[in-house]
Amino acid sequence: MIQSANARQNDPVGGAIAALEGCTKRYPGVLALDNASFRVAPGEVRALLGKNGAGKSTLIRMLTGAEVPDSGTVSIDGVALSGSGSARAQEAFVRGVRVVYQELSLVPGMSIAENLFLGRWPRRAGILDYAGMEAEARDAMQRLGLDMPPSDPVAGLSPAERQLVEIARVLLGKPKLVILDEPTSSLAAAEAEKVMAAVKRIAADGIAVIYISHRMNEIRQIARSATVMRDGRIIDTVDVAGADTREIVRLMLGSEAAQAAAVETKARDKVVLDISGLALAPKLACVSFQLRQGEVLGIAGLLGAGRTELLQAIMGVRAYDSGTICVDGTDIRRPGYRAMLNRGFGYTPESRKEEGIVPLLGVDENTVATDFAAVSRRGILSARRIAEATRDVIARLHVKTAATDTPIGTLSGGNQQKVVIGRWVHAGSRVLLLDEPTRGVDVEAKAQIYAIIRQLAAEGRSVIFVSSEIEELPLVCDRVLVLREGRLMEEFKSPNIDQDAVMAACIAGH
Amino acid sequence: MSNDQAVRTVPSGAPRRRGFSQHMNEISLFVAIVVLYVVFTTTANGFMSFNNQINILRDAATIGIAAWAATLIIISGEIDVSVGPMVAFISVALAYLLQWGVPTPLAFVLAIIIGAALGSIAGILRAYFDVPSFVGTLGLWSALRGTALFMTDALPVSIGRNDIVDMLDRPVLGVPPAAIIMLILFAVFAFVSRKTAFGRSVYAIGGNPQAAFLSGINVARIRVQLFAIAGAMAAVSGILLLSRLGSGNATAASGLEFDVIAAVVVGGTALSGGRGSMLGTLLGVLVITLIGNGLVLLGINPFFQQVVRGLIIVVAVLANIQAIKRGAARNKG
Repeated sequence: MIQSANARQNDPVGGAIAALEGCTKRYPGVLALDNASFRVAPGEVRALLGKNGAGKSTLIRMLTGAEVPDSGTVSIDGVALSGSGSARAQEAFVRGVRVVYQELSLVPGMSIAENLFLGRWPRRAGILDYAGMEAEARDAMQRLGLDMPPSDPVAGLSPAERQLVEIARVLLGKPKLVILDEPTSSLAAAEAEKVMAAVKRIAADGIAVIYISHRMNEIRQIARSATVMRDGRIIDTVDVAGADTREIVRLMLGSEAAQAAAVETKARDKVVLDISGLALAPKLACVSFQLRQGEVLGIAGLLGAGRTELLQAIMGVRAYDSGTICVDGTDIRRPGYRAMLNRGFGYTPESRKEEGIVPLLGVDENTVATDFAAVSRRGILSARRIAEATRDVIARLHVKTAATDTPIGTLSGGNQQKVVIGRWVHAGSRVLLLDEPTRGVDVEAKAQIYAIIRQLAAEGRSVIFVSSEIEELPLVCDRVLVLREGRLMEEFKSPNIDQDAVMAACIAGH
Repeated sequence: MSNDQAVRTVPSGAPRRRGFSQHMNEISLFVAIVVLYVVFTTTANGFMSFNNQINILRDAATIGIAAWAATLIIISGEIDVSVGPMVAFISVALAYLLQWGVPTPLAFVLAIIIGAALGSIAGILRAYFDVPSFVGTLGLWSALRGTALFMTDALPVSIGRNDIVDMLDRPVLGVPPAAIIMLILFAVFAFVSRKTAFGRSVYAIGGNPQAAFLSGINVARIRVQLFAIAGAMAAVSGILLLSRLGSGNATAASGLEFDVIAAVVVGGTALSGGRGSMLGTLLGVLVITLIGNGLVLLGINPFFQQVVRGLIIVVAVLANIQAIKRGAARNKG
């Protein structure tokens, strides 16, 4: 049974270090926060759960003063934040709110101590006071259980240690509330333990911690209560000890999640890709699966579960440790990226802006770059053929663009993504590896991308569809594999791809 | 950067405002050239004379031929600072080849091959060993000048009488062959940059190398090819230098690399890569050449000329960036 922790929430504001009272925030077209009330007490570790777009980051931005609520109040340390813009953020900062983000902001070439004091290095008579700096740094690190010389360069640290340095830096400012945004998402399980031990120490010092994560086993170790968000609302705050993972999943996904129209499976028997025992330390331990012609295979898993690494290993972009990759029944040994393209594979990266598009170039050039020969005559590009090929892709993938040569950087995310997929249609690829193709894409474009993927499968192409949005998997996939702890832990087949069960498998509850 | 006109055929919802702002850069450079002409015509004696105009063309060729290749290199996000020593080295090497009795046409071909091979060293270092192109070409810059000086003791290497070499310096209908070669090569580079997979790949690599790689473009090979082409173009300049001076000269073409980079940058090509045009560089070459020529005719102290040139280059790029920013803001709003 879920025991509501509302009793704690009804404490007077005096007991809370940070509190939201009836906060609502509306962005164009989205209700990001809907009459949310939230409270966290000193020394408490509060887990914050919710799928993408549930309102977690808006809630955090309220607490840090980065956003002003349309209605409602935000108080830190008993005083309501006022004003807007940087003054408001400064006020929250002064009152002791700190966030440790996923993207690390350390300078690798500098020492741990220098990083801890980045930009405000202690000085004595105008000269950097290294002795004082390192003494204070050693103190701060020991509080987190990190035992190494502060003069060591950050470049030599493991990802978990870097994360701890980041946390130590935040602690130097004597914070009252520390917000950790998926601090373990890029870490292997053993590494994550170090971060969690540090979180416990912080809380023991009387600092409130908001811990955003979806790894239930971590949450169970460090948090007493968990707040679940959905559609901008705070659904409930539950006692972690008394709640079972399936029930938390139900709170995250809501009841409407239940049934989505399942896909009609038309996959053929021919195996186009056969992976066995693929290992890539520390992310992938032993991954084996088969992909059939005309099949859409979903790979589910949390952020940092190794989904991207898996696709990159198959494509030859990233070297793997062991295992075999067979294409059409032939062991290809070490795949090279361009060789994989020649075998009819296509890959769309997770970060569209950084790796997917050439923003200054037109839709046309971003499309035909995968196969210039098809739009050339005797080695010379034919403007007519480029236009035809581009129009074909625009029509088939429903790309909304003013013209074929409109710079792709000016298109919406959804339309950019369609072009990035479309370039492999132009290249005639028969196996498509799509890494989070719907990230940062609006609802309408998402539906179109689902339809496009089904269409590609119906044409006999095979698709691996990586997604962290569980609810879209039943809409697109013939089969879903769940990647957790470096292994494929569970398999779901259409029409029995149950969102709750997939989510529970991802976050690994018992 | 402009695309092919014929491609623009899909029905358009939004009004198109690109035509003008896209060519803002070229238009403002053209205006700058007109202004330079007016200023120098009214102030400098003999600026508009036929002989001086021919001189301008000949000087433009020295910068231009190297600048066409440098434009592609800079669009791809790289840089080449080895041009001057490369030109001088090739002129020396060619002079020795001719002294040894190698048939002139064969010597020319060998010179171009040597240039391409030397250039590709920087390309290979960049493409396969991640040595920044600035460092690789800086190494070439020093080593080539040093080798040429060492081989010649800084003395000109005379080639004696050679009809083919002489012919390269004899005007055709008043126009020096160097200028003709420059314009032919300009047409070739403009075509390659817009109409071949190689040219478009260069833009893609400069705009986003990771995306270009993931699209299947052979990024490493294209980088090597770019530097090989730059070496070959420097060799062409070296051949023309030899024909103009009648000897190979290890001290020649000093500082040429800065004129070349200045011309490309004044021409609107972004040093950060992904953006630029051959037409812009052509206009940039003219601006740089006109300034150099005009200041000499005005009789300004040669030391002070360098100050004026430096100022004009910075102001030109500053004005260009402001114009592009204003254009972008207009397009947004």
